[in-house]
Amino acid sequence: MLRAALLLLLRLPLAGAGATEEPTQESRPLGEPPPGLALFRWQWHEVEAPYLVALWILVASLAKIVFHLSRKVTSLVPESCLLILLGLALGGIVLAVAKKAEYQLEPGTFFLFLLPPIVLDSGYFMPSRLFFDNLGAILTYAVVGTLWNTFTTGVALWGLQQAGLVAPKVQAGLLDFLLFGSLISAVDPVAVLAVFEEVHVNETLFIIVFGESLLNDAVTVVLYKVCNSFVEMGSANVQATDYLKGVASLFVVSLGGAAVGLVFAFLLALTTRFTKRVRIIEPLLVFLLAYAAYLTAEMASLSAILAVTMCGLGCKKYVEANISHKSRTAVKYTMKTLASCAETVIFMLLGISAVDSSKWAWDSGLVLGTLFFILFFRALGVVLQTWVLNQFRLVPLDKIDQVVMSYGGLRGAVAFALVILLDRTKVPAKDYFVATTIVVVFFTVIVQGLTIKPLVKWLRVKRSDHHKPTLNQELHEHTFDHILAAVEDVVGHHGYHYWRDRWEQFDKKYLSQLLMRRSAYRIRDQIWDVYYRLNIRDAISFVDQGGHVLSSTGLTLPTMPSRNSVAETSVTNLLRESGSGACLDLQVIDTVRSGRDREDAVMHHLLCGGLYKPRRRRYKASCGRHFISEDAQERQDKEIFQQNMKRRLESFKSTKHNICLTKSKPRPRKAGHKKDGVANPEATNGKPPRDLGFQDTAAVILTMESEEEEESDSSETEKEDDEGIIFVARATNEILQEGKLSGSHEVCPSPRIIPPSPTCAEKELPWKSGQGDLAVYVSSETTKIVPVDMQTGWNQSISSLESLASPPCTQPPTLARLPPHPLGMEEPQVPLDLSSDPRSSFAFPPSLAKAGRSRSESSADLPQQQELQPLMGHKGHTHLSPGTANSHWCIQFNRGGRL
Amino acid sequence: MGVSHSSKEAWERESRTDFWWRQMQEGFMNKSDFNWDQIKQLHQRFRLLSGDQPTIRPENFDNVLDLESNPIRSRIVRAFFDNRNLGRGTGGIAEEINFEDFVTIISYFRPLRSRRNKEEAEMYRREKLRFLFNSYDQDGDGIITLQEYRRVVEDLLSANPQVEPAWVRSIANSIARGALKEAARASNQPAEKGQPYQGITFEDFIKTWQGIDLEVKMQVSFLNLEAKALCQ
Repeated sequence: MLRAALLLLLRLPLAGAGATEEPTQESRPLGEPPPGLALFRWQWHEVEAPYLVALWILVASLAKIVFHLSRKVTSLVPESCLLILLGLALGGIVLAVAKKAEYQLEPGTFFLFLLPPIVLDSGYFMPSRLFFDNLGAILTYAVVGTLWNTFTTGVALWGLQQAGLVAPKVQAGLLDFLLFGSLISAVDPVAVLAVFEEVHVNETLFIIVFGESLLNDAVTVVLYKVCNSFVEMGSANVQATDYLKGVASLFVVSLGGAAVGLVFAFLLALTTRFTKRVRIIEPLLVFLLAYAAYLTAEMASLSAILAVTMCGLGCKKYVEANISHKSRTAVKYTMKTLASCAETVIFMLLGISAVDSSKWAWDSGLVLGTLFFILFFRALGVVLQTWVLNQFRLVPLDKIDQVVMSYGGLRGAVAFALVILLDRTKVPAKDYFVATTIVVVFFTVIVQGLTIKPLVKWLRVKRSDHHKPTLNQELHEHTFDHILAAVEDVVGHHGYHYWRDRWEQFDKKYLSQLLMRRSAYRIRDQIWDVYYRLNIRDAISFVDQGGHVLSSTGLTLPTMPSRNSVAETSVTNLLRESGSGACLDLQVIDTVRSGRDREDAVMHHLLCGGLYKPRRRRYKASCGRHFISEDAQERQDKEIFQQNMKRRLESFKSTKHNICLTKSKPRPRKAGHKKDGVANPEATNGKPPRDLGFQDTAAVILTMESEEEEESDSSETEKEDDEGIIFVARATNEILQEGKLSGSHEVCPSPRIIPPSPTCAEKELPWKSGQGDLAVYVSSETTKIVPVDMQTGWNQSISSLESLASPPCTQPPTLARLPPHPLGMEEPQVPLDLSSDPRSSFAFPPSLAKAGRSRSESSADLPQQQELQPLMGHKGHTHLSPGTANSHWCIQFNRGGRL
Repeated sequence: MGVSHSSKEAWERESRTDFWWRQMQEGFMNKSDFNWDQIKQLHQRFRLLSGDQPTIRPENFDNVLDLESNPIRSRIVRAFFDNRNLGRGTGGIAEEINFEDFVTIISYFRPLRSRRNKEEAEMYRREKLRFLFNSYDQDGDGIITLQEYRRVVEDLLSANPQVEPAWVRSIANSIARGALKEAARASNQPAEKGQPYQGITFEDFIKTWQGIDLEVKMQVSFLNLEAKALCQ
């Protein structure tokens, strides 16, 4: 069905193309005076090109979605295969409909637009440490391997022709075959990436194959250009100096490309240092300068792929340190999106291009010979090189690795684009080469791509293990690095570790100072980074766990009737006293110690300890185009740290072994959850079971409310839809809020609503005041967090917090500050007595602090106090507006209650 | 090549008469996995370090200029003189070490590749980890306490010249705490109740290393040792 829809979609541009004739016919009588203002004009031509591009990308994306609907298919067949097949089908349809091949992979498009994003993505996210650790092997395979493949394949094909196994129609000399060999022998980064990302071989193997595919571009470009110019000159005219020039150009192209990349990386890092006030263009800068590097290298006919790879590799460290957190996410996502988009389009267009039979001419001998030779010589080359490399490597590459490496040498779109670029007048056998290239590309991508996964499984290749970095390991690895460098110093052996150490010192002393923001390099440290990330992960998982623990340990949710009655009494009490209109009696509710209150208290403290304070609503420039408010984010980061550290500290002090054990137990379960979330994201729609606790209680409260207040209930459900908040601690407060809202509409038109004065209950149970509200917003969010990826989870929560923490009414949250709870909140066994814990830290209103009831630890900062002061002065009605608002609120509330 | 040809010959002459030479030829070479060339080069280096003395003292390491900037320099120098690493008892610092000791220490960093045997490789892995453990556990009580760990972290953090010492101190503390807690979690053993986690024992230490390849981590390739002149 979907495929049919897809095909329909494909016809759209064609239909559009058909429709183009209409406007041209219409526009023909333009010489005559126009009949008047045209109500409707069809201007296909003006939008044709971008429209088609957009449509193709859309088709490709939709195809991707369709492929991933079935997990089974994608687990067996690599996406690249599916896309090529789809391209073939689409190409057939295009051919059938338009009677000519259209929408092919143009070399210009490919090299200028489709390739750069993929290379940038791979360079930027290349694990640099791993890459440089294996640089020797990568370079060997990339340079020696490519040279070897080119010459052996070229010469062998020529020999095949001499032996008469290739049809005589194929007019090609040795040079032509070498040219062909140069373009067919290069392993393609796009294809390798597409296949290997799904195979998950171990990191070393991956980085070697992938690094080779990236770096061999320089060699390929040089060989291709040299051979091409030799062919164009004619073999008779080639001088000895030309060969020398060819060799020299290898260095010029590769080193030049790398140099261009590094220069742009430097520029990029330097530019991002000064973007503090214009955060919004940071992602753009990254893309622009990387693209500029690509174009510059292309312009100077250097290796553009190498340039972008180097640019990405070189700038990452500094750019990541300089740009803001949001920009980092933006860069990451945009890069991934662009790369995956380009990759999809490339494979699809490859399939479509293959349909065009006018371009190619078939010769079985050549095709089969090429297929055999590239496989054979690749394997032979890998074995020979590995043998040499293993003499030097600490960890030798074993036979299985070699099999995977030689089998993973996929050819792809680069070869195809290069062969299309050949000049038919100079290379008479171009059509044959095109056909052979297409077959080779299809064979490697489809056959090898399909079989490599079972092969890897069958050979039991060491897979990559995704263990999360722990703090200890990070520390140990740093120590090891230093020790190794030191031992090399002592022994006097200037090896890899020595130079790496040198480089790091140079980097720390000069480069980082030059390229990083001062605030960034001060705290830029890998150990610190890991600690930071672990802390955030802990915080998220703790918050997750908090909900989990609360419901799973069955925190003595009181039985239904008692709870109902208790809640009712408290609510009615509240109503009664608010009905009096004057100052609230502070003593009435204080005595009520209901189960629900306790439960609320537990929840509150849990959240208080586990969460950071939600960001305050900011009025200024929240929607400015050039400015993204950053400090709130940083404040939150900082705060989550402080809390976490405090918690760690506290729990460390009291850490007994058994507690550690109980604590660590939920973790694996949590991990399982996460994995589930990754495995089938659809499952997250069905809420995790731990939410049930919340939902149950919330449902009870809601029904209770509906008996009392229909008005607020309706608006509450509405709100629920908006925000997805179902939470128990909010219930009473919700009523207050709603009452206030409706009241304010009628009586006082000013949008500023003054919160009610604190009652005794608010004092004891602070979530009943404004801040409880905020905590509730946060807590409802925690049920959503299923941190698939730590980063994204974090970002999600931040962004949703941002939206949630600003309540629908424009009331400024006066009591927004939640001082971190001093007690370690992770012990779920004890939280019941926390509500009566005298040390529990609430933001007590200053007036109450004066009354001596406070515990003097709410060190609310000065502006906050000022903010609070007028609100607290309700007793003597010194301030008119709070008083009136209060009474309004009370009246309104009362009325609602009666209803 | 800082060692002149004549001194090399002289060294070979005298080393043949030396008593350790026989010892080395018989057992030592096998034990340390070095070939003759490497031992010769190491000895050249040793002589350069020691200033043609039979032993090296900690001060001699001051001559290695490249070591200056190493943030854990003192730990490494100490490791060379640590009796535990030298296989002499359980603690304390040796005053000076001779060439044999020097090779013993260096041999902690020999490649793993020749050891195909699984048990041997495991033993060897433990050996390497023990070396690292010893460099953490400075007082030699078999436990990395919070204090010791904190000092390690401080050393590592101070590698960055820009960071302020105050910041390093405050952060190092929390990082060390975090790491220790993590190790406690990883240790996963039923501990006696009411007893806070004291520190990382060697067994726990090994557990924190689970899942990491040591093969590339603690090895120096000694294939082409060059004895470079280091003292001026």
